[in-house]
Amino acid sequence: MKMKLALLLGKLLYLLGKPLGKSTNLPGELALKICPDMMGRFRFDGKVLAVTGSNGKTSTSNMIAHILKKQGRSVVHNAKGSNLTGGVATALLAASTMGGRIKEDFVVLEVDERFSRLIFRDFSPDYLLCTNLFRDQLTRNGNVDVIIEKLHEAIKPQVKLILNGNDPISGDLAPENERVYYGLSKTAQSSERCLNITHDAKVCPRCLGRMAYQYYHYNHIGGFACSKCGYTNPQWTYTAADVDFASGDFTVNGCPVHTDYKDLFNILNTTAAIAACTELGLPLKDCCEAASTFVVLKQRYDEFSVDGRRAIMILSKNQNPVSFDQSITHVLEREGEKTVVVFVGNINHTGHRDTTWLYDIAFERLLGKVDAIVGTGPRAYDLAVRLKLAGFPTEQVRIERDLSHLKPVIDKTRGDICILTELYDAKSILGVISK
Amino acid sequence: MNKVTILWLYDDLLDLYGDWANLLAVTKGLDAMEIQWEIDHKSLDDEIDFSAYQMVYLGPGKARNLARAAQDFIHRKEAVLAAVEQDTVFLVIGNSRLLFGKSFTDAQGEALPGIGLFDYTGQETGNVFISDVLAHPAFAPDIASYGFVNRTAHIHGNERDYLFTVQKGAGDSESDGGGEESLHEGNLYRNFFGSWQLGPLLVKNPEILKELLRRLVGEAFLDWNTTAEELALKLTLNEIQ
Repeated sequence: MKMKLALLLGKLLYLLGKPLGKSTNLPGELALKICPDMMGRFRFDGKVLAVTGSNGKTSTSNMIAHILKKQGRSVVHNAKGSNLTGGVATALLAASTMGGRIKEDFVVLEVDERFSRLIFRDFSPDYLLCTNLFRDQLTRNGNVDVIIEKLHEAIKPQVKLILNGNDPISGDLAPENERVYYGLSKTAQSSERCLNITHDAKVCPRCLGRMAYQYYHYNHIGGFACSKCGYTNPQWTYTAADVDFASGDFTVNGCPVHTDYKDLFNILNTTAAIAACTELGLPLKDCCEAASTFVVLKQRYDEFSVDGRRAIMILSKNQNPVSFDQSITHVLEREGEKTVVVFVGNINHTGHRDTTWLYDIAFERLLGKVDAIVGTGPRAYDLAVRLKLAGFPTEQVRIERDLSHLKPVIDKTRGDICILTELYDAKSILGVISK
Repeated sequence: MNKVTILWLYDDLLDLYGDWANLLAVTKGLDAMEIQWEIDHKSLDDEIDFSAYQMVYLGPGKARNLARAAQDFIHRKEAVLAAVEQDTVFLVIGNSRLLFGKSFTDAQGEALPGIGLFDYTGQETGNVFISDVLAHPAFAPDIASYGFVNRTAHIHGNERDYLFTVQKGAGDSESDGGGEESLHEGNLYRNFFGSWQLGPLLVKNPEILKELLRRLVGEAFLDWNTTAEELALKLTLNEIQ
């Protein structure tokens, strides 16, 4: 009875909220208040795949849903990055019949790694894909070991894992579970030394011995071997290779794939999506073809025209240095002159004034590569200090704390305007500079 | 002074946050004074001659990594205590402070040894605690400083040689204004600087950086321009005061 009432009110709220854009979390939250074990009462006709990890889970799960749909399969998916308990519950109740049955061929759930143990308290996915694990919002999440503990509570013995063979940390999740790996061998853009500051696997996650790397794709993702216990990259089943960075073409197990988003981070995520869909039973060739038609969500990456200049919004998450490092990679890939704009605020959700996380981002990679870096937001002068210590000349760093006064500052810079910030701040910046 | 040699101890194990930039600030200061420098990285089981270093830095780390470091560090007890007494500059940030107390317990309740430079004990709880901290360093009580505490461990019984008097936010205890341990934070003993505070501490507080460098290079110290750092600090303090 509780389940029926939860579904009824949840669906009603979902339908009412949809035109207002308020239907991604609230219906699920309400339904769970009425029926706390609702998630365990759904019956799935198809397979359930969860996608988690520190970075890339939204893009990867969107790509998986895209591939499955492109192949004519029906899919339930929390597409808008609503990856907490309420968001997952909303996606499921909206797709469910009043009897609690979900008839779609596949359920693809993007899941926040912190909330995974709560989301999967009463049910379990058949497959779990983990893209990677990095330091991320330490004030909220705690460190990587804390996240691993939470994931281990969420991963039940019957779950088959799809893991990144280039990541020594997430690649070692739940060692007793059945698993399959994907990976990318050394490429022309891989490096012999780590180009980033954030490196979460300087020591082996198994024995804490010093880790040696043959190559880095980015941060601690690459080809590794522990000098003490010998832990090294596992044999992977899905191999990305033959990467042509000019065209965006590469192969997975010999099948051609194309992407317009040509960095190593995205190539690995695309390989992850192809691996997952193949594991779900689709032919590899069809998965590669469908993945090649995927377009990255505009909320992650978008381009605009501002006073005859190009403005590029690249989603960069506060306190998530790897997210910023990825955005810097995109900036460096662009040809021609460019100016980088960064909004630095206080800590999300808590308002604390800490800016230590700025020192985990390798701003040094932009030295000599940009016309200027413009800082705005309450902690913009802390960015100025960060850039000074990175070695940027004073004249290349422009600071305007007040976002509403940003336009004249940006007007004095040259080249493409690359905005590295959270989505809501990027919209504010675009609003100001477009006037 | 021609050259400063710095030891970054457990650089691979204790590397949790952007705290490494304390060393970046130190080396930029040395550059400004035209003093050469070198950073040596040492970790578990490495042979270390502490007398070869003018400065030793330890940063915050994951609880499991700190526990492993503690097993190694206890074998270095005599050499480290001697280095402190010989006025080697130490900068010890975050939970690596636990290594310098009497002992600490990990999240499972297992006791781990400290080298006993201070009388405090530590306890890992696994619960994240965060706080902005407005404080005044012991060597210059008129100066206001800012730091950010992000910890999962506590220190109990830190009763002497404080580095800070806390005006607002958490001291060694977590409550704001709730007892003696919340009124003080960190340690300054000879040239040993220990604090929970991130920021990174020396980046965010140019006066603390300069005090540490005065002690590090002695008469070779020359002041340099830190206007940008002072402005960033002032804007932060304005919001907290």
